Amino acid sequence: MSKKPVKGEYIETDTGNKVSRRSQIIGTTNIILGGKTVIQAEVIIRGDLLRTYPSSSSEGKGNPVAVAIGRYCFFSRGCELRPPGKMYKGYLLFLLPSSSPSYLQHELMVFGSTFSHYPLKIADHVLIGPGTIVEAALIGSHVSIGAGCVIGKFAIIKDYARVLDGTVVPPNMVIPSFSVVGGRPGRVVGEVSEGEVDGFDLREVYRGVGN
Amino acid sequence: MSTFTPYTYFQCPCTDSSPPVRNIGSDSPTSIHSSSSEDEKAFDPRAPRANYSLYPLEHLLYCEDCHQIRCPRCVLDEIVTYYCPNCLFEVPSSTVKSEGTRCTRSCFQCPICIAPLSVSSLEAPPEGLGAEHASQGGPYVLNCPHCSWSSKEIGIQFDKPNGIFTQLSKIKNGGDPVITARERRKDREERSRDSAPGPVTDEDGVQDETVVKLDPNEVLDAESQFSNLKAFYQAQLAEASPANALGFSGGDYGYGSPGALSRIMGLYTGGTYADKKSKAKKGTMREAQNAFEGLKIVAPNSEDALIAKLQNEGWDATSSSLQRDEQSTHTPFISDLRPIAYLLRTKRSKRCKTCRHILSKPEAKIQTTRFRIRLVALNYIPSISIKPLQPLLSTQLQAPLVPMKPTQFLLTFKNPLFESVKVNIATPAQTPGRFASKITILCPQFEVGANTDAWEEALRDGSKGVEREKRRTKAEASEGQLQAEAGKVWERGRNWVSVVVEVIPASLKPSPDFLKTEAQRKLAEEGGEDDRVREDEDVVEIPVFVRVEWEADTGGEDGGLGKEKEGREKRELAYWCVLGVGRIG
Ligand SMILES: [Zn+2]
Ligand SMILES: [Zn+2]
Ligand SMILES: [Zn+2]
Ligand SMILES: [Zn+2]
Repeated sequence: MSKKPVKGEYIETDTGNKVSRRSQIIGTTNIILGGKTVIQAEVIIRGDLLRTYPSSSSEGKGNPVAVAIGRYCFFSRGCELRPPGKMYKGYLLFLLPSSSPSYLQHELMVFGSTFSHYPLKIADHVLIGPGTIVEAALIGSHVSIGAGCVIGKFAIIKDYARVLDGTVVPPNMVIPSFSVVGGRPGRVVGEVSEGEVDGFDLREVYRGVGN
Repeated sequence: MSTFTPYTYFQCPCTDSSPPVRNIGSDSPTSIHSSSSEDEKAFDPRAPRANYSLYPLEHLLYCEDCHQIRCPRCVLDEIVTYYCPNCLFEVPSSTVKSEGTRCTRSCFQCPICIAPLSVSSLEAPPEGLGAEHASQGGPYVLNCPHCSWSSKEIGIQFDKPNGIFTQLSKIKNGGDPVITARERRKDREERSRDSAPGPVTDEDGVQDETVVKLDPNEVLDAESQFSNLKAFYQAQLAEASPANALGFSGGDYGYGSPGALSRIMGLYTGGTYADKKSKAKKGTMREAQNAFEGLKIVAPNSEDALIAKLQNEGWDATSSSLQRDEQSTHTPFISDLRPIAYLLRTKRSKRCKTCRHILSKPEAKIQTTRFRIRLVALNYIPSISIKPLQPLLSTQLQAPLVPMKPTQFLLTFKNPLFESVKVNIATPAQTPGRFASKITILCPQFEVGANTDAWEEALRDGSKGVEREKRRTKAEASEGQLQAEAGKVWERGRNWVSVVVEVIPASLKPSPDFLKTEAQRKLAEEGGEDDRVREDEDVVEIPVFVRVEWEADTGGEDGGLGKEKEGREKRELAYWCVLGVGRIG
């Protein structure tokens, strides 16, 4: 340990995010961080996996979002956040530079199938355990996911759910609020009791992280 | 050895009122000398029944009217809302009554691995075709994204991508249509109209359908058989009592009607409930005589096909017991399994079993996670946390306990009440069980300060961790060394107190015979004891009896208006806890 200026492990952003210098955040312009979120070492966030399938509603304003994260989230060492992707069948409008004439875009509406990513949305107070891979579509508030889990593509995890260590949540699974999920494939193995609700708050955890 | 996290479980006092623990035999090491009077009050966390009364504090509720802890055993659940855990749609309770407790939309689980199934188009429409082909894209199948099972494997496809439940209920495995309840009823009606009992072949009817169905020895699937039997008995009941006292005429009112009840009561009470007329007619009730009436004759060769299939396809073709459990009918082979419609889930409120007051009530809406009422024990009784007194290097896992080496632990009691509480703790001198560790609490009596408002806490939040750290170092400095003093609190904070408990872990080696206690010797004689360490017997679990006393405002809830009561009231709460402090290495 003979580095000259003692640089801390974490860089703190204006909104209070504590981001490890040893994390890999790819495609930062496509990632929204709500603030006060901790990103530990070796965490990978794939903001580069952008949606290629044209969305009908939200178009043309600002940067496209691949990963949206709320406040007071905690991403433990070595976890990975990837926007989910799937083959899409139907008419496809191949994305062309906006300068190309519109008749050409019509020409390129072709039936077939293609692969597209979709945004990954994570609300507030979400804890992701070490080594866990997340490809969910949506993770609600106050969700705790254990170590070494795989959260399958397009899974939806609602508020106050807990995923036990080593769980494989199958793709498309919907986990209702107050569920405890475990196993491979994951299934609901219990309910979060009334008294456990307060334990999901991560403000204290956030404060405990420092350089 | 695996890692060990210290834990604290609380015993709900409702177990006190249960009958005394029956002697279960050599399997419960201490229940044997439970007859000896001196020990009868000490709680044994290893007793087989203890498992059913110990809970983490978070799992307990608190009744403000009984002033008592409430566990899942002493609360009553009341269903607020039914919903499907997959599509998250609310199901009205009337629908639950009529349609059953499964989602009737398109929510299914894989019969092989229970992962959620998704509907997908079997074939992509050929390229270059028009929009109408694209939007249809059928036929559809249910696919498992986890184990790659497909409903195609059991020969089931769907025309539409929605309403799978209804579609599936009409298809048998293999693709044959299921005879629906309505068709069955129509068939039965036709039967009773144009035929006397006996084999009839209706030549001019809807041919191949009726011919098959009218076979009196037809092998029925479970549902058809049930429906036939039910119809038969309802008809019998209707005949037996054409019009009962209340004017119901059997039929669909069959079993549940007051008439049926009085008839059944009549059977038991010798006929005082039923009039003589219907009593006389009871003799005319008969049993089902053919498949049409729900009779199923088990042919001696009926299982030949199963045996042949088992011989040909072997073990791999059979379903596991877990898979069968999820099915509503007997499914010996994987090819018999059907997609499992999601079982509905509920939101429930909880009531105190003793006084019926509501302890917990969630908002009825599925999408909200708020509670209208939530009385959790966490907000009423002090929590207990455990950590080793000897400071661990940060993130170092707790080392196993060394036998016979005194080890000190810090018990931190944190008070959630807004009044200060007096705490008394007591333990037996030795842990119960075969390997008795010695326990000493250095400070069994202390007072814990009042909790402060959440707002106040939020305001001083930033400095809290620091404050705690300071006190610790001060305590250490004043003591000079890590030496706990008897009768003194180790550390104290605004609403928390730490005391030291010393454990002398037992040796896991069998003690020589002359050192054994009377009980141990008896035990060894009776049970043919072996000296091997059983599962988790190496964990030191300390039973602790906690008594909390405080003074509370009595008139608080009335808002202080009008006649005020005496003002302060003494409260007391006493319960057993179990502290899991470590594993003997
Ligand atoms: Zn209880
Ligand atoms: Zn559903
Ligand atoms: Zn499966
Ligand atoms: Zn009560």
